Amino acid sequence: MAHVSVPSYWNALPQKYRLVAGKCKECGYVNFPPQILCNNCSKSNTQELIELPEVGTIYSYTIIGRGAAPPEFKKMQSKSGAYAIAVVELENDQKTKINVQLTDCDPFKIKIGTKVTAVFRIIYEQEGVRRYGLKFRPELKNPK
Amino acid sequence: MKKVAIISCGQSKFGSFVDKTYEDLFAEAYLEATSHIENFEPSEIEEAFIGSLAFGGSQLGNMSALISDAINVIGIPAARVENACGSSSFAFRYAVYSIMSGQNKIAIAGGVEKMQDISKKSRLWWFGVAGDIKWERLSGMTFPGNYALMATRHMYEFGTKKEDITRCAVKNHRYAAKNPKAQFRNEITLEQAMNAPMVAWPLTVFDCCPLTDGASIAILCDAEIAKKYTDTPVYVVGMGAGTDYLALYRRKSLTRIEAAIKASRAAYQMAKLEPKDIQVAEVHDCFTIAEILAYEDCGFCKKGEGGLFIHEGQSEVGGKVPVNTGGGLKAKGHPIGATGVSQIYEIWKQLTERHQNQVDGAEIGLAHNVGGTGSAAAIHILKRG
Repeated sequence: MAHVSVPSYWNALPQKYRLVAGKCKECGYVNFPPQILCNNCSKSNTQELIELPEVGTIYSYTIIGRGAAPPEFKKMQSKSGAYAIAVVELENDQKTKINVQLTDCDPFKIKIGTKVTAVFRIIYEQEGVRRYGLKFRPELKNPK
Repeated sequence: MKKVAIISCGQSKFGSFVDKTYEDLFAEAYLEATSHIENFEPSEIEEAFIGSLAFGGSQLGNMSALISDAINVIGIPAARVENACGSSSFAFRYAVYSIMSGQNKIAIAGGVEKMQDISKKSRLWWFGVAGDIKWERLSGMTFPGNYALMATRHMYEFGTKKEDITRCAVKNHRYAAKNPKAQFRNEITLEQAMNAPMVAWPLTVFDCCPLTDGASIAILCDAEIAKKYTDTPVYVVGMGAGTDYLALYRRKSLTRIEAAIKASRAAYQMAKLEPKDIQVAEVHDCFTIAEILAYEDCGFCKKGEGGLFIHEGQSEVGGKVPVNTGGGLKAKGHPIGATGVSQIYEIWKQLTERHQNQVDGAEIGLAHNVGGTGSAAAIHILKRG
């Protein structure tokens, strides 16, 4: 049975816990995640690590229907039901986009433009190992 | 540079064929292709370019040797080309290059995939292998989910109606119903499709293509010798390809497939043609929203007007550019590695007047094939001789 491998580096990635990006000292471009070559000016090893704000707004979203989750998330979905995934625009000048799972909400209440904040959560469990990371919680008047 | 001709194409039936091997499916496509031409000897094939994702992993390595064996051309150079759902269009592109350069007189390009004989859990796993793993897959994202992000944003930016997006599925089922090689030969209603179970909102199960077993092939040659084999060669007059970030969230826009825009511009430039010259097209409708984006990215209508384009019937036979007259990925089926050349097969059928949904007098056609969620795209423009 094939499966997504769970390399050790995954748990060591700072981006799982904090939104660490690479700001290019040459051109100022913010690379998320950090890269060896800058995505804007192609200069190498010019990025200093910065932390992006953990708040942003929903740029686009989808709701993964019951039974349609990837196998790694089957167990989670059996409890949560349909859940939302969003591309979020963070509140930095460049409005860096990231792809995240939304949590603690009725996914049918969110909209493009809804404000979201990062929270620390279990992402999934595989081969007996819990994977932790960031999910985002929408700011809704009646979240559930 | 040499001019390149397609002398024939073939396709296996698309569907669920648990009892057939890769070799069986590819041989079926090959035998159709050879049945349309004369004076052709298999020993004339000088090189083979085979698209496959090797979905399910049952022949993950060295697929090309298996395929050379299937059609008894063991010994020639052959390789598998992988670019997710765009695999065989890239195989076709490299076959064209090999003839343009004068290296080969005759080459084949094709593809094969078997996706049905796999457990449900395993299918779901394999379905995500061509997306970004680190940031998308491991957030709980799915392939339909990525296209759903494009749909949500398109509806927001342009006021596109979900009904119009889903009309692509209704149209493509209607054309597939007449295609004896299609996976789904039933028509569906818009109401049925809109109210089907949700896979990734706003997309329902009827907005999504199926998993398919199937194979496809095109036989290409130096245009100078094409008439030896057929009276109706079809010429490759334009081609283009492009790439983009693997992960959708890193792209500038969610409402355009930049790789396809680059590919179409290059193809039109090479062919010295414009979008208005295209008389029939096959586009990559893995999800209904992908067909809407394709209308726009190929220049058949303005950006944001894809919903209107199908609403007005412009992508139907009789409209400005009939699209997916073979049934598309949605209803003809989507055997990942075989899809690109199966689109070329449909255009070749149209240009040689063999099509069950014939566009009268079609002389110029376009095939638009996308890999992943738009991380690769290849477009070919074909013209009747």
